[in-house]
Amino acid sequence: MNLRRNSFRIVAAIWLLGAGAAVAGPSDDFKAANQLYDAGKFAEAAAAYEKIEPKKAHAYYNLGNAWFRQGKLGLATLNYRRARRLAPRDPDILANLKFAEQRLGVDDVNTPPRVVQRFLRSVIESRTPTEWSVYELTALWLTALAVGACIYIPRIRTGFLVIAVVGFVGFALSVFALGDEVLNERMAPQAIVVAAETEARFAPMPDSTVHFRIVEGTKVAVREDRGQWLLVERADGQQGWVRSETIGQIAFF
Amino acid sequence: MRIGLVIGFVLAAASAFADVSAVASVDRNHIAFGESAVLTISVKGAQDGAQPSIPKVDGLAFDGSSTQTSVSFVNGQVSQSMNFTYQVTPGRTGEFTIPAIEVIVVGKGYVTAPIKLAVERGATQGDLSQVLFARVLFPAKQVYLGQTMPLQVLVYSRADVPLRGLVGFNYEADGLGFKFLPKLKTGTQIVNGESFNVQVIEGAISPTRAGMLNFGPCILKAQLTVQKHGRGGGSLFDDSMFDQMMGRVETRDVPVTTEATAIEVLPLPEEGRSADFAGAIGQWNLDVTAKPTEIAVGDPITLTIKISGSGNIDTVPAPKLGSLDEFKTYDPTTKTTKDELNTTGERVIQQVLIAKSTDVKELPEVRLTYFDPVARAYRTAVQSPIKLVVKAGSGGQSTIVGGGGRLRPDEKLGQDIVYLKGDLGPSAPAVPFCATRMFWVLNIMPVLGLLGGIGWKRRTDKLRGDVAYARRTRAARNSRKLLASATSYDEVQRALQNYLGDRLNIPAGGITASIVDEQLMPRGVNGELADHVKACFEACDTARFAGGGADTNMQATRENVERLIDELEKKQL
Repeated sequence: MNLRRNSFRIVAAIWLLGAGAAVAGPSDDFKAANQLYDAGKFAEAAAAYEKIEPKKAHAYYNLGNAWFRQGKLGLATLNYRRARRLAPRDPDILANLKFAEQRLGVDDVNTPPRVVQRFLRSVIESRTPTEWSVYELTALWLTALAVGACIYIPRIRTGFLVIAVVGFVGFALSVFALGDEVLNERMAPQAIVVAAETEARFAPMPDSTVHFRIVEGTKVAVREDRGQWLLVERADGQQGWVRSETIGQIAFF
Repeated sequence: MRIGLVIGFVLAAASAFADVSAVASVDRNHIAFGESAVLTISVKGAQDGAQPSIPKVDGLAFDGSSTQTSVSFVNGQVSQSMNFTYQVTPGRTGEFTIPAIEVIVVGKGYVTAPIKLAVERGATQGDLSQVLFARVLFPAKQVYLGQTMPLQVLVYSRADVPLRGLVGFNYEADGLGFKFLPKLKTGTQIVNGESFNVQVIEGAISPTRAGMLNFGPCILKAQLTVQKHGRGGGSLFDDSMFDQMMGRVETRDVPVTTEATAIEVLPLPEEGRSADFAGAIGQWNLDVTAKPTEIAVGDPITLTIKISGSGNIDTVPAPKLGSLDEFKTYDPTTKTTKDELNTTGERVIQQVLIAKSTDVKELPEVRLTYFDPVARAYRTAVQSPIKLVVKAGSGGQSTIVGGGGRLRPDEKLGQDIVYLKGDLGPSAPAVPFCATRMFWVLNIMPVLGLLGGIGWKRRTDKLRGDVAYARRTRAARNSRKLLASATSYDEVQRALQNYLGDRLNIPAGGITASIVDEQLMPRGVNGELADHVKACFEACDTARFAGGGADTNMQATRENVERLIDELEKKQL
């Protein structure tokens, strides 16, 4: 009986972690910021949203709206993307992000060109890293239990073998997705260009030759961080140095 | 059951006699002097016709006759046929006519058409256009602008032409929209008394401007198989025409061309054109139904308008409806089906209407005006108003106030951002779950558990299947148990015997001190340990056979045996 109760607790703990975090009620600061927004004081609202710590998905989303209303679409895109990292399937967040990117004309630029890449990216980004972690654990346990059952209950080996294969495929997919999200963030954090038009230079110096220009709202990967200057890579593989204040990083870890 | 089948067969066979025909053909109607042609008289629909009497033709000899009959039973339909074949050998050159031949079937005569046969001196000079040619068939030479007219491109190849297939089809059709079906139809046809295989490309044209337009010339690529040896002595495919092809069996693409066909495209006439005409061309039927016709105010009525017929359904607009002011309307749904060439089609339009008041007595009239290219005139299909019985609504409602017009406003999506959220939503964990110790522990647990399970399974399987291993593994534990409960030298000695028997996988009963020399020393147990084993046996034997021995001595012996087991456990025996 105790064992069953403890098992239930473990499973419950896993699923609570999988849900990312409990949905919290609005704080006073958050409500105040919303009131500023409703009053049309978008700059003050944005400042108020910025002060809320730790920020949750909807704080980023509302902050994105506040920037959008001020015409700062790059900052709006950045915050919508941050919100999406926490709530990847929220239709409002996805709609506003798409709209902001369309306004900036970067929706194509920020989408992988190949169909397979697009599909994989959409699958990976449809879940948070925590959700992928839970999927990975579930699939691993399922695989291990099914393999164990294959060994100990050979009478119904075929059925367990199918479960083991399905579990392993799920495990491999989850590991791939989780690895992509975590390693990508570690090795090349994703960022959004927030300045109106950013010049990427050949060297981290103000008088260096301009290599190319990046449109506001474009997603880039940060390859190297030298404080004031960041080496960024565009989707087409072109790299250049930009000032750190011209881009905002999406990630949290 | 069987009788029924027989009766059905007989009836079907009898009905088949009703359609008897006779056709005569030759395999080639140009032959060289010295060659023979094959005359075939095919009688379809009968199987018991008498051998026909071949009329005499000056200069031609008919011999080597043979008869073939066949019956087929497909989908309940019986088809019968019989073929009479003759070898026709000319006695001189010249033009011959094989006259009509009469075949008598069940007392009734069926006559074939006369056939021409040309006999030339020397080898026949092959004229490919006589045996492989194409034609374009239009049902009419005039077509109206916007009309879709079917056409057929027929490729004829004489039975002896080794045509493998068509590999290309190019055509000129300036001012004509066109579409062709990729799948060919095939059949046979008698042309000038010769049997030809026919491949048919079906298509349709739709002119985009008025005036005299040309379809074609068409160039088809026919793929022929050319063999080194043709039919002997002057066949079309073994002399001058195919000299270059004759080296070996191979396929060659041969162009087959058709002449350009002039098509007159007429503009739609102004005369008789009504204001309702919106471009529909063809021959269309209008069928209108409404369900239900007895309703309460506020109940929906589904008005279904079905337009079907021949012509380009895409040119047919939604029919005109009379005034709908007395109804609320929903957006109609339209479903269109058409054949592959878009020469026939059907469009079903369904519209939901709601009567606003009990004053509504009928649905409005439905009209479709179209141009009929066959009759060369404008037609209007009219559906008279359908009567309705409209009662008051469930709450005594006899009128719907306001809301006249379309119920579904046009939506504009994506024009602005979605409004704020009222709650904070999900947050990011302070430390990603995948970076926590718990995550890694939970990852390692199933792997270790699985490895442990596999190891345990292998061990238990080995214990079950390997007796020596099982005895060796359990030797010390079992013997220690025996020693712990031993109350006599016998039991102490048995414990030692059991231990050595299990370790060495030999029967334990007969083990004595001699085992040291026989088994242990060859396995590397020497010196003090060997002496220790012997001493233990001797101590036990002495005590047992002397019949005495204090408990303290037995205790000492037991401890000695225990130590001995400990030491032997360290040895690889």
